Amino acid sequence: MRGLFASRVWTAALVSGFAVLAALPFVADDYSIGVGLALLMWLALTESWCVLSKMTGYVSLGSVVFYGLGATLVVVTWQKVPLWVAVPAAGLVAAAFAALVGGPVLRVRGPYFVILTYGLAELVKYSIIAAESAAGTASRILFGAPDLATIYFAMFALALAATLLLAWVSGSRFGHGLRSLRENEEAAETLGVPVVRYKLAAFVLSAAIPGMVGGVMALRSTYFVVGQVFDPMLSVTVIAMAVLGGGDDTRGPLLGVVFLALLSELLWARAPLLYMVLLGAILVVFVLLVPDGLVGLFDRSGRRRVAASKEAS
Amino acid sequence: MSLLETLLSGQFLFAALVTGSLYALIALGLNLVYGTMRMLNVAHGDVVMLGAYGAYGAFALLGVSPIVAAPFVAALGGLVGYGLYRGVFRRLLASSTPASAGRLEANSLLLFFGLSILVQNIAALAFTPNTRSVASLSDVWHLGNVAMTGNRLVSLVVAGTTCIGVAWFLSRNIAGLAMRAVIERREAAFIVGVDVDRVQRTSFVLGFASAALAGALVSMLEQFSPFSGFPFTIAGFIVIILGGLGNVKAGLLAALLLGAIETYGVALTSANLRSVLLYGSFVGALLLFPNGLFARRAARR
Amino acid sequence: MTRSSTRRAIVFATLAALATAPAWSQADKPLRIGFSMARTGMLAMATPSQMNTYELWREQVNAKGGMDVGGTKRKVEFVTYDDQSKPEQAVRIYEKLITDDKVDLLLAPWGTPFHISIAPVLEKYKFPMIGNTAASVALRQVKPGYIWFPTSAIPDRIGAELTAMLKANGVKSVAVLSNVLPFTKEIKNALEPELKKAGIAITVSSEYPPDIKDMTPVLTQIKSANVDAVLALAYPGDSVLYAKQAKELGVNAPFQFIAIGPTDAFFPKAVGAASADDVVSIAHWAPRADWKGSQAFYDAYVKKFGEDPDFLNSALAWMSLEILEQAVAKNGLDKEKIRAYVSSTTFDTINGKVKFDGVQNSITPTAFVQYQKGKLQIVWPASIATGKYEPKKGW
Repeated sequence: MRGLFASRVWTAALVSGFAVLAALPFVADDYSIGVGLALLMWLALTESWCVLSKMTGYVSLGSVVFYGLGATLVVVTWQKVPLWVAVPAAGLVAAAFAALVGGPVLRVRGPYFVILTYGLAELVKYSIIAAESAAGTASRILFGAPDLATIYFAMFALALAATLLLAWVSGSRFGHGLRSLRENEEAAETLGVPVVRYKLAAFVLSAAIPGMVGGVMALRSTYFVVGQVFDPMLSVTVIAMAVLGGGDDTRGPLLGVVFLALLSELLWARAPLLYMVLLGAILVVFVLLVPDGLVGLFDRSGRRRVAASKEAS
Repeated sequence: MSLLETLLSGQFLFAALVTGSLYALIALGLNLVYGTMRMLNVAHGDVVMLGAYGAYGAFALLGVSPIVAAPFVAALGGLVGYGLYRGVFRRLLASSTPASAGRLEANSLLLFFGLSILVQNIAALAFTPNTRSVASLSDVWHLGNVAMTGNRLVSLVVAGTTCIGVAWFLSRNIAGLAMRAVIERREAAFIVGVDVDRVQRTSFVLGFASAALAGALVSMLEQFSPFSGFPFTIAGFIVIILGGLGNVKAGLLAALLLGAIETYGVALTSANLRSVLLYGSFVGALLLFPNGLFARRAARR
Repeated sequence: MTRSSTRRAIVFATLAALATAPAWSQADKPLRIGFSMARTGMLAMATPSQMNTYELWREQVNAKGGMDVGGTKRKVEFVTYDDQSKPEQAVRIYEKLITDDKVDLLLAPWGTPFHISIAPVLEKYKFPMIGNTAASVALRQVKPGYIWFPTSAIPDRIGAELTAMLKANGVKSVAVLSNVLPFTKEIKNALEPELKKAGIAITVSSEYPPDIKDMTPVLTQIKSANVDAVLALAYPGDSVLYAKQAKELGVNAPFQFIAIGPTDAFFPKAVGAASADDVVSIAHWAPRADWKGSQAFYDAYVKKFGEDPDFLNSALAWMSLEILEQAVAKNGLDKEKIRAYVSSTTFDTINGKVKFDGVQNSITPTAFVQYQKGKLQIVWPASIATGKYEPKKGW
């Protein structure tokens, strides 16, 4: 049922979408490239988040911790280590952190897990702040950062990797195992699913790409303040995009990211004063009226079409 | 300052209690609302913020001190809670089943975040983003060698008595016991004849009222702006998670614990580590006690 | 592309409909000035002091018929977006303002991180912008050319000047208490070596994270240390916390310095007039008879907004506008000419003369102000002082 990509139509849409994004820097102005970059960034982050939270049901409110760790690594090694080493190292650091804390952290469930992940992100943030201030550093600037096009292509690669990762996880035996523990963890364990190992693997996999995303984005804003890089709103936005998208494979994050990113683009440019209000209203209405997300809408209309064609024949 | 001096210091005790009692009041409301809805109300801190604006408005327009305005602000908060319950949540709760409730986790987070964004930004448009505070009761009283600013002392007394009062209500009073029953297991309470709808309504009202009351106190204690709600929400969540969701009394204890860490923890180490200690304690405690420090039973299935 | 021309068309149509004036010329096209400002998020409460100043300026300029653009007057229209307190968003907004909205001129956003983040954008598009509310030693590393910083409140100079002021007032021991955020941390880094060089004892040196809620432990320590001066390197939020808790605990050192906060009107309202009195803070502006327009600016701001301007941020914002006005009046909208002009000219502003050496202002001295009977007076250095320093007599 859930092959590598749910259907041929969907795969075609995905491929063409990526093709357009790949071509963007050659045809569009800087502002549009900026829009594309934001889109790719959220895509990479949200797809990675889904690998853990959609598949296992462990909703993380702390995804910014991986982003922040990655950014910190790139900034701290700036001009001491070449970027093509630093960025993958950022991903490794984030994954290592996940591997380190994942065991005890994943023993916590439900809403306790949600707030725990938030607390974990804040703990890491304030620890880095304390360390920086103890070392006497107030802030860091990255001079001579790569240009927009380079950053864009790096992010493109990350978004592609995240999509492929989620697609693979979603369709694999590993993924089925994750889904089973989402439905009933104790039952899955009884049936022989290596629940603890699977959870930890999902956690670590969900950390690597956001770490690299953080590293790349540090090059975009060039002025590094720990508090701003570990912004909880990033974690919230990722959840928003995943929920708006719905489902638990690659369709959800893609629809959710495109929808919300384009929506906020439109809103902040057209209604500079009101757009947060409009955004909040749209989120509330959406969750109440469309609880299964955009994927749910597609599925429902698809089922109706199938039922209709069955009736016809 | 030696370890003994630190621990016995009346001044530190006062500071810890002032901080802890405010956390306790916020956590109280959050526990009551969570106990009813089983959803993480991420907009709770924004009710506190609105309460602060209510008290500020009363001060700016009518010249009344937040202490005088507090009961009215709390009543208004309760009214808002009542309206929300009748208008939105009663239907939502009646139609949800234990199975669907679990899946709603991420959805409910988003729902309340959306509400929170709405409330914060409408408030910013209505009140401007400038910070406000009410300069009231700022004289300093002395008891022995403990110095107490009037508004901090009052906050401690009001928050403390409210929390103790509600905790007593929940353990001694029949209506309170019914509320605890509903919080613990709604279906079972229904079966033994509890008027679940009325209890949920009261929980909601009390929850929102206590948040608004906390806001009135905050207006005297701190600078606030339309965007100050979120830190209160987070503090509230850390406290109730630490105490165990739905466990009101444990939440109050956890609040005092956090107040103690903020004061004594810093006194014994350094101000630099204030947030590391707070979040570190929270994460550490939860990793050791995955259902909260005072969890009495096995993990819920 | 289409958006900005549509907007322009609507503005024309409106003007034409309203004004029964004859055939319009170049002078009737509004001058579009773009900037980003945090209206939501963590920093939203700090930006009004700057936003208000921009609004006041636009009102005054338009009342005079418009901004002088190389001899022709054109009405000013702002194109502004909310950066949500995020520097990356500010980067995108300035890219949009330059490439998409195609504004004629740019004004600065609020805050150091924002200025530094957009500096590369300004350089890429060769679009000059006069900064204002940015202060960091890091500013000197920004490549000169398209951005300038008129402030003199640079942390290392603050460290040196504050030490000088303390020494001049016979201070022998201090307690230093600092928020770890960049600006105040930089001041602490610069200050402590200076204090040591001057032979002033640092009896207590402490730092705290920005989300601190209670300073009782560290203030108790400071009180028992009995120092001559307490230097609270605080941001606006914790500045009030410090003042209130210092009052509660009786931290009554005669020299009370609070880095950021007291220059904004909210401070005396929040802590009370008695507590705010005699607090020393950082600013280099106050109305002075020999600074043309300074009293007029003060009066106009009070009249329009019902409260004092922020003596640091509002003054800087106004100065940057004055410099822009003078540059554009002389050179029209030619960006290279503006750039050359700003880099080499000495300007007359409400803060006296301003001249840029690279990115920095080389004339305005690093200064401190003090609340005296409800009014901020410059008390250091003597060259621009409007009042004399008074020790604080309790909270």
